Amino acid sequence: MKVALFIPCYIDQFYPQVGIATLQLLEKLGVQAHFPAQQTCCGQPLANSGCEHDALPIYKHFVETFSDYDYVVAPSGSCVYHVRKHFDKLDQTADVQHVRGAAYDLIDFISTVLKVESLPGAFPHKVGLHLSCHGQRGLHQANESEMTPVRDGQLRRLMASLDGIELTQLNRNDECCGFGGTFCVSEAGISARMGQDRVADHVLNGTEVLTGSDMSCLMHLEGIVRRAQLPIKVMHAAEILNGLTA
Amino acid sequence: MSTASRDRILAATKANKPAELPLPTVPDFGGEATAERFAAVLAGIGGTVVRMNGLGELVSTLQQLFPEARTTASPLFAASVPINAQTPTGILAAIDLTVLQGEIGVAENGAVWLPEANMMNRALPTITQHLALVLDHRRIVATMHQAYAQLPNTGGYGKFVAGPSKTADIEQSLVIGAHGARSLVVVLY
Amino acid sequence: MNHATRADKFLLDADRTTWHDETLWFVREKRDRAVYAVPEFQELRQLASDIKDHTLSRLDLYLQEFEAAAQANGVHVHWAADAAEHNAIILDIIQKQGATRIVKSKSMLTEECHLNPYLIKHGIEVVDTDLGERIIQFRDEPPSHIVLPAIHLKKEDVGETFHTHLGTEKGESDPQRLTEAARQHLRGKFIAGQVAISGVNFAIAETGGVVVCTNEGNADLGVNLAAVHIACMGIEKIIPRLTDLGVFTRLLARSATGQPVTTYTSHFTKPVAGKEMHIVIVDNGRTQQLGRPDFRASLKCIRCGACMNTCPVYRRSGGHSYDFTVPGPIGAILSPNIDMKKHASLPFASTLCGSCTDVCPVKIDIHTQLYKWRQVLGEANEIPASKKWSMKFMGRVLASTRVYGLGGQFARKALRLLPHGLTHATSVNAWAVARELPEAPKQSFREWYAKQPQPAAQPAQPKIPA
Repeated sequence: MKVALFIPCYIDQFYPQVGIATLQLLEKLGVQAHFPAQQTCCGQPLANSGCEHDALPIYKHFVETFSDYDYVVAPSGSCVYHVRKHFDKLDQTADVQHVRGAAYDLIDFISTVLKVESLPGAFPHKVGLHLSCHGQRGLHQANESEMTPVRDGQLRRLMASLDGIELTQLNRNDECCGFGGTFCVSEAGISARMGQDRVADHVLNGTEVLTGSDMSCLMHLEGIVRRAQLPIKVMHAAEILNGLTA
Repeated sequence: MSTASRDRILAATKANKPAELPLPTVPDFGGEATAERFAAVLAGIGGTVVRMNGLGELVSTLQQLFPEARTTASPLFAASVPINAQTPTGILAAIDLTVLQGEIGVAENGAVWLPEANMMNRALPTITQHLALVLDHRRIVATMHQAYAQLPNTGGYGKFVAGPSKTADIEQSLVIGAHGARSLVVVLY
Repeated sequence: MNHATRADKFLLDADRTTWHDETLWFVREKRDRAVYAVPEFQELRQLASDIKDHTLSRLDLYLQEFEAAAQANGVHVHWAADAAEHNAIILDIIQKQGATRIVKSKSMLTEECHLNPYLIKHGIEVVDTDLGERIIQFRDEPPSHIVLPAIHLKKEDVGETFHTHLGTEKGESDPQRLTEAARQHLRGKFIAGQVAISGVNFAIAETGGVVVCTNEGNADLGVNLAAVHIACMGIEKIIPRLTDLGVFTRLLARSATGQPVTTYTSHFTKPVAGKEMHIVIVDNGRTQQLGRPDFRASLKCIRCGACMNTCPVYRRSGGHSYDFTVPGPIGAILSPNIDMKKHASLPFASTLCGSCTDVCPVKIDIHTQLYKWRQVLGEANEIPASKKWSMKFMGRVLASTRVYGLGGQFARKALRLLPHGLTHATSVNAWAVARELPEAPKQSFREWYAKQPQPAAQPAQPKIPA
């Protein structure tokens, strides 16, 4: 199995530890992932801003970078969703179709491709899950409250398998955090308010560590936690599953 | 009336519509068609179910339920105010209690089909202060699919009535008795 | 003024924003409970979507079938290309009756056409009879929600308004007593009404009848007491068969408010002897939307409002922030069709979280359409020039590995070295309104990776196409 690591631009620049944890976690699961150095970005920030046309060269660069791999794994469901759903704008060559199908969110890859449902290790903390919309509703990695009252999903199962962990029961299990890409600055007021409300739900219900599988939402939520100086630690799921202590 | 607009709208619709797509067949879905379910759902939306053994008990049942009603309208017993399609609004507006025959009850939502033929006057079921619908328990179906399947047609006017008139337009606070009947009783026999 | 600016005004009152959000979330939760209780709910959504898709694909034929059936029922059918024609047709019917007092039940179409001010200008008294609509009519405000028109108001606001207009006691804010005051006031209006105007929830091609759904009973009361009934509908309200209502009535109220069905599901098919019934069929941009393949599914909307109740942006910005008759996610995909320039910011008033799509009872791909409208607006240069140019610049940077790497190093270094007050100045950095920037690490992931020993440092060479 030839697996490439896609480390989205903001993780590369601001959260290298998340990329490292992703790489090491995959290694522990027997997967030697490679990081093609020519990679940049999936193009989503441009496309979500209405500039899909300007993103096409980025899409092509992405496909060229990853077409030789069986899987492209990223610690960010939103980027994966973008590749799968919105690379329909490219000519659908064999390479394009292959890369779109090969792109996986890390947690999805572990659950669906590696078929791992539990991991060894302990994390004796009260952990609040942030279900990112593109992973949950876009990639169907978790049940949606719009459809069913049953709270289940890939991240929940993997986290629940850790010893000593307690998962926070949130009032609103899957409301959007308000990051939304460029929305976070073009609609900064609403974005911030949504993030504050999401964090407040975690505070109210006792979250000590807030985690998720999409670093973009977590970057936004961490920014709010740090501004408000709340006693919550924000970690990517890869860090916890890789055995990092809080 | 502008036939030019009619023709323009139809031409634009024809030109802009997508390629034809199939019309699905709607399955029945089954479901529980019991008086118990009907009563429970109706209670949940502010209505009441009262049972009697047969139409012979209707007057005594109503007297127990509405001892205060002075003006009554109904084709089902000797009511105090005669009503027909031409009855002036002023008389309709003074009716305390109207009792009409319902045709079909829907267990999933507590609705009762009330056709124009059973209303005496189209305005009566809404303008009356209180409404009682008499329903044969054998006419309860599970779902709206089954209810519509049983309707031969909807006549000139007809409606499903599910509970009393209500509103939540002020702060989402539920208030029973907006413009229509303040209470709804279904008398099942 | 764009959506963000109007939203910021709403957000200034933080407590009220919390209340608005929680009130609508409460409605969303009621919807969830109603949906969970119907095992076939997802199948019903698919059926509703398919029936609507089919109807749009034969819409011209169904409109003619409907017209012929309605005329056979003794109903007058009128066609209006736009809002002006719609309003003129209605005024003409009213004037032919010599009527001056109109009662109206809820119709978003008449809001869209600005019928009320038009009739008032021509000396007609128009009374909105839905309680929420009456409240905002007194206040001279547009509705902020299509199902809950006065949801932006608190009971104290309503008490104040009723004190002024209905003479209720000052300080009275009990919903029960305020509703009773409105009931008494509106009874008089119903009894005096000469012409009743209603909207249409469903128009059945097979029977020529229209269906109006209310909880208050105001449509039934108004229509059945007046001499003339005028029902106004957009061309998209058509459904083929009476039995299709089995699907739609099971979805509508559950999606809208969590009720199993609306209190009244009223079928108006023929006028009573001696009275008149008119139906006005309106285009006003709908045929144009039908011609846009990416956006025509928006015409499947049954106006339940579920996308508003679930939308995290709508709940925190209020309906008026959209400045369009239909607010929220569905409004954001309908409005650019009407005026792309004026409503250019609405498709961007979303995180694209997709919850709207998942609650939509007719499965409109709302969040995908929001994304696609953004592209249309971008191509049409209806997005801010600064955004457009920065995205062009980003496109060049991110298509090149080398330029990207250099830019990242520079940005992180700048973040580390510049003072917090400068990097977090909200005048230049909207992120910093409520958020800290990430702490810039000394090295990026790729810099770390390059220093790792074998085998990680020797990735397989990706294929570079010629």
